[in-house]
Amino acid sequence: MSIADKSTAKPRKLGLKERYAHLTRGLGWETTYQPMSKVFPFTDYEGIKIHDWDKWQDPFRLTMDSYWKFQAEKERKLYAVIDSFAQNNGHLNITDARYVNAIKLFLTGVSPLEYSAHRGYAHVGRHFVGAGPRIACQMQAIDELRHAQTQIHTISHYNKFFDGLHDARHMHDHVWYLSVPKSFFEDACSAGPFEFLTAISFSFEYVLTSLLFVPFMSGAAYNGDMATVTFGFSAQSDEARHMTLGLEIIKFMLEQDEGNVPIVQRWIDKWFWRGYRLLTIVAMMMDYMLPKRVMSWAEAWEIYFEQGGGALFEDLSRYGIRMPKYHEVASKEKGRLSHEVWATFYNYTQATAFHTWIPEKDELDWLSAKYPETFDQLYRPRFEYWKEQSDQGKRFYNNVLPQLCVTCQIPMIFTEPDDPKTICFRSTLYKGERYHFCSDGCKDIFLYEPEKYIQSWLPVHQIYQGNCGGATVPEVLNWYHMSLGNDNMDYQGSPDETLWNEWTADRHKSAI
Amino acid sequence: MTYQLTIEPLGETIPIREGQTVLDACLRNGIFIPYQCNHGLCSTCKITVLEGEVDLGDASPFALMDFERDDKRALACCARPMSDITIEADVDIDPDALYLPVNDVVGTVVGLVDLTHDIKGVTLEVPGDGLPFQAGQYVNLTVPGLDEPRAFSLANAPSKANFPELHVRRVKDGKGTGWVHHDLKVGDKVPLSGPLGRFYVRKSAANPMIFIAGGSGLSSPKAMIEDLLEEGWSGPITLFHGVRQARDLYFDGLFRELEAKHGNFTYVPVLSESDGTDGWTGETGFVHEAAIRRYDGVFKGNKAYLCGPPLMVEASIRALMKGRLFEHDIYTESFLTKADDNAKRSPLFQAI
Repeated sequence: MSIADKSTAKPRKLGLKERYAHLTRGLGWETTYQPMSKVFPFTDYEGIKIHDWDKWQDPFRLTMDSYWKFQAEKERKLYAVIDSFAQNNGHLNITDARYVNAIKLFLTGVSPLEYSAHRGYAHVGRHFVGAGPRIACQMQAIDELRHAQTQIHTISHYNKFFDGLHDARHMHDHVWYLSVPKSFFEDACSAGPFEFLTAISFSFEYVLTSLLFVPFMSGAAYNGDMATVTFGFSAQSDEARHMTLGLEIIKFMLEQDEGNVPIVQRWIDKWFWRGYRLLTIVAMMMDYMLPKRVMSWAEAWEIYFEQGGGALFEDLSRYGIRMPKYHEVASKEKGRLSHEVWATFYNYTQATAFHTWIPEKDELDWLSAKYPETFDQLYRPRFEYWKEQSDQGKRFYNNVLPQLCVTCQIPMIFTEPDDPKTICFRSTLYKGERYHFCSDGCKDIFLYEPEKYIQSWLPVHQIYQGNCGGATVPEVLNWYHMSLGNDNMDYQGSPDETLWNEWTADRHKSAI
Repeated sequence: MTYQLTIEPLGETIPIREGQTVLDACLRNGIFIPYQCNHGLCSTCKITVLEGEVDLGDASPFALMDFERDDKRALACCARPMSDITIEADVDIDPDALYLPVNDVVGTVVGLVDLTHDIKGVTLEVPGDGLPFQAGQYVNLTVPGLDEPRAFSLANAPSKANFPELHVRRVKDGKGTGWVHHDLKVGDKVPLSGPLGRFYVRKSAANPMIFIAGGSGLSSPKAMIEDLLEEGWSGPITLFHGVRQARDLYFDGLFRELEAKHGNFTYVPVLSESDGTDGWTGETGFVHEAAIRRYDGVFKGNKAYLCGPPLMVEASIRALMKGRLFEHDIYTESFLTKADDNAKRSPLFQAI
């Protein structure tokens, strides 16, 4: 049989891609009643040039019909687990009630971001000319709404027993440290559609997701929180589509026009740094808030960014994209980040919607072992001193409101990249006003778009301006919807602790 | 125990061991199925089992739904065969692939020639139908005393299917290449299986073609170019062949002859270690640098075929991408096993 015979021998099956192309043909059409530029007004102003939207690769080729089928079954499975968790008092199986504080941080800091993501994707899903990215964004918009909803439903079980979970939505929009995640997402949502996808789909969902979602979900698994683990699995089954959208938008922009390369590089620089600063709460959660720890922040950074991200950026360098600016600063900070942040929250425990504590001795030992070059030298003595003070009835509270970085909105607590004993201050003058930054990364971001960031809603400024309920701590807490003495302050002596001790005492009694 | 795994819509059949995942078998046989997490959570590698039985393994109930299990879906990264199986996977259909069946044949050595000081040209004779292949593909050659066969590209034009031709560079301490260089004699019988690989000319695209070969990586491009010129291909074809010194060039005369005969074919030999005393007046430096000079750094609109050592292939990919030619238009045959390569790569690229 000759080669020519073979190639025409039997008609082959249509591939999945070809079948989908037939199914969806003509869905993205050129408008005629109105010019395309009026129908899609946001596609040009960012400077990204697209010559051929048909070059967009959609590996999932999911129809709406099967999308609903998938999501419906995911929901059925998840809610069966949530119901049985509630019926069996699953909260009694967690390692320790201190763990619930990680959940409080997640519900107030992360779940509202899922909702913001829903809004962001719904918006950009309307504004892409190509049908491929439009459909991907629209499906992701629904996914994100589902994630927000399932997280709220899962965690609502804890709200029956523990403090600080009663008004996450309000807190996200008002509480000082929650302005960090809130402003991060609003920065992305108020950018153009291409920057939004670079920020959220690529930098966040692809590059940094393993450092946000995985630590929370593994933390839940290690600490007996099976309800949270299940919503993690349920969400992760959507993540493949989300991560693929992140990779595809970057490849697509880089291949469509050479002029897109420097724009994409600037966005990657910006959103790497914005995302990394947002992850400081994860660093703290991993090293301090999990009674049973998964791995240290430094280890996670090495595995997920330095190695995983390194491979990605090695591949991206073929396009002329380099590692994000200041990635080396992030690596220099990995041995100190969580300690600087937990110390800050310990200082301001009177204004947090979760409890803080000085780590137990075995926990301090764990930190010493995980951070042999920094913890004993710089941080352990401080925690031990605060413990001593607290034991003598002189628990230290910081009553001075901190200066905030205008870009990331985190208090100016970070130290110089090459000197962990000196606070890093940066500032610039713009239109006669001085603006302050925690880092060169945050300052660069401001300098490129000062008109955007001078509008920042900075919690400390707002308190001083009298916009947050009043000038005293109880007034501000009231405005935050936080209950003084219940939601805030140390775990030791909290209603959470009292309740947990009663339960566990009952358990011991019934065991006898 | 080994089963047969047939992948639709390609129609290709590959062996799969009991306990081996479908994904692993596919990747190891050069068939790329999209995948991501590789442990049953993300559902990127979903397939349909058309015939036969699989064990679904640890596929997460959220990544592989009940209704999908009823519809014979599986995740390739977790599914293991329980019989011969046929699957449908999300693989790209290539209009230029002939999907020739793999045959096991025995060739008799009829020609042994030193092409250079370290490259041996081996010509075999295979009677009957010979070894039909697509120019660019390779064969696995069974070497006495070695468990794993050795892969060599076919350097003859497909029209000479009865006379497979291999170019074998002597690898220092290499057992397989050592055997070819020192032990193989005219008249020896050699078991071969092939054709294998997905490196072949995309004729349906009709773009101008650039071939970049390094050292004995010339074998595939030689077969591809001879095939194209034989059938009267009229589009521009440029071959860059990078070697160290003039003594490493081979088939130099053949390509100069072809260049003189075919106005659409350009041959550019490149020496990376020309010391100026050898009277060389041609291109020098690395082969990708010569390509950049010849194309003024602009590669858009071409199809590029790269064959040679991994470093040369990577340098060439970077040069081509800088010149605005991307994954869709670049085809590579790197002298490296795929399993070695996957470890430190991200999922950004699939084919290059």
